[in-house]
Amino acid sequence: MTNKTSPTFSHSARTNILWHRRLGLSVFLLLIFLAISGFALNHSPALKLNQIALSNNWLLSWYGLEKAPAKGFQVDGQWLYHNGDAELFVDGTEAAPCRAPLLSAAANDNGLFALCADSLVMLTPQGQFVEQFSAIDGLPTALQGLAVVDNRLYLINESIAAEFDPERWSISPAPMAVDKLARSQQAMATLPQALAQQLEQHQSGPSISLETVILDLHSGRFFGQFGVLFIDLIGILICILSITGLIAWINRR
Amino acid sequence: MRRQTSAAADRYPAAAFLSLIIGLTLSMTSLAAATTAARGVFQSGPDFIAECFASQPSEKKTLWLTDELRQQVSKILGHPIAGLRVRYHQNGSKTAWILEEIGKEMPITIGVMVDNHTIQQVKILAYRESRGGEVRYPAYTRQYQGASLKPDLSLSQSIDGITGATLSVWAVNKVAALALYFDGVVTQQRTDA
Repeated sequence: MTNKTSPTFSHSARTNILWHRRLGLSVFLLLIFLAISGFALNHSPALKLNQIALSNNWLLSWYGLEKAPAKGFQVDGQWLYHNGDAELFVDGTEAAPCRAPLLSAAANDNGLFALCADSLVMLTPQGQFVEQFSAIDGLPTALQGLAVVDNRLYLINESIAAEFDPERWSISPAPMAVDKLARSQQAMATLPQALAQQLEQHQSGPSISLETVILDLHSGRFFGQFGVLFIDLIGILICILSITGLIAWINRR
Repeated sequence: MRRQTSAAADRYPAAAFLSLIIGLTLSMTSLAAATTAARGVFQSGPDFIAECFASQPSEKKTLWLTDELRQQVSKILGHPIAGLRVRYHQNGSKTAWILEEIGKEMPITIGVMVDNHTIQQVKILAYRESRGGEVRYPAYTRQYQGASLKPDLSLSQSIDGITGATLSVWAVNKVAALALYFDGVVTQQRTDA
């Protein structure tokens, strides 16, 4: 059979096998992992992977789910605090969506205000969610704190402060210095024991399921955008491996 | 030529393999860049309002959501609305709304301008999902021009969907219907007053 092939064909076949081996050696470990994880995901309900909760500190930290400290802001006689996930709580009740961390809180006659990572949440004096303001509404970015002076609400960032009127949606420069306003900010304090215990119960929920971790590892998302690209690349290499394998099989016949 | 290439690959296998990897990585990076481009803030709320009303001054107003309104809104959105009030801008028969609705997992910020109970403009101000960003293209959003609200709270004209962006299309449809509903409510309130 070999003596029937031309030298060029034989050389090409050898090159094909050489590349087939190289690709096989490059991807075999990952291929095995992808096969096992794919099998596990396919049978996730039977294996009850979604019911296995992982709460390892490192893993939670990797997913940005670090446990929030049992601290909050006491404003107008009410405690505003965050559950470390995406919710703002007022005195034990889930009040509004709020991306962690909760940076500051304040109150005036209009209601309660909570400064979250990317928005300002307005609540009624009783703690009901009224509305949310964000950068797309014209709110300044990189805000660090809130202060109320003479019943006026001020937004503070590193270098400037602005007065914000939520009723008129108007933002104007503050008539006083940033450091003076910063001193008027409500300080974060340790939650009362009853609220801290309740928060602890709320926090026990958002662990990561084993199914999520396997799915993220399988798709590469566990390592971010780079991980997804890497798995895509492996997918392409596996395709090439299949093609070179097929060519090798044809050449042998 | 083919023989020379094969010979080169045999002589420098590591370099050839590296070239293949780099080439594939670059292709994948281009693909990822295209995916990432779906996300973004395309226009701020104040800029959208300024564009809607051009040189005419608009009035900033607030619509408080009563229990009755909330029930109707739930029918349109398919879930309860968060918050007790909605802000909008008005000038005569023209109203502009900036509303949010979740596509698959993340909220899409959508600006809707309504005049005489029909949509004049729909614009995607911010898109945060990794896929389905095609809804922001004018070729898609132009379909909403002239749409009004039917008594069953659906849009008066059919909107062609986009393959791979079904949930985002549904979100835009809901927000368009919601803006028309809110416009009807504030017009009624103004008439009653």
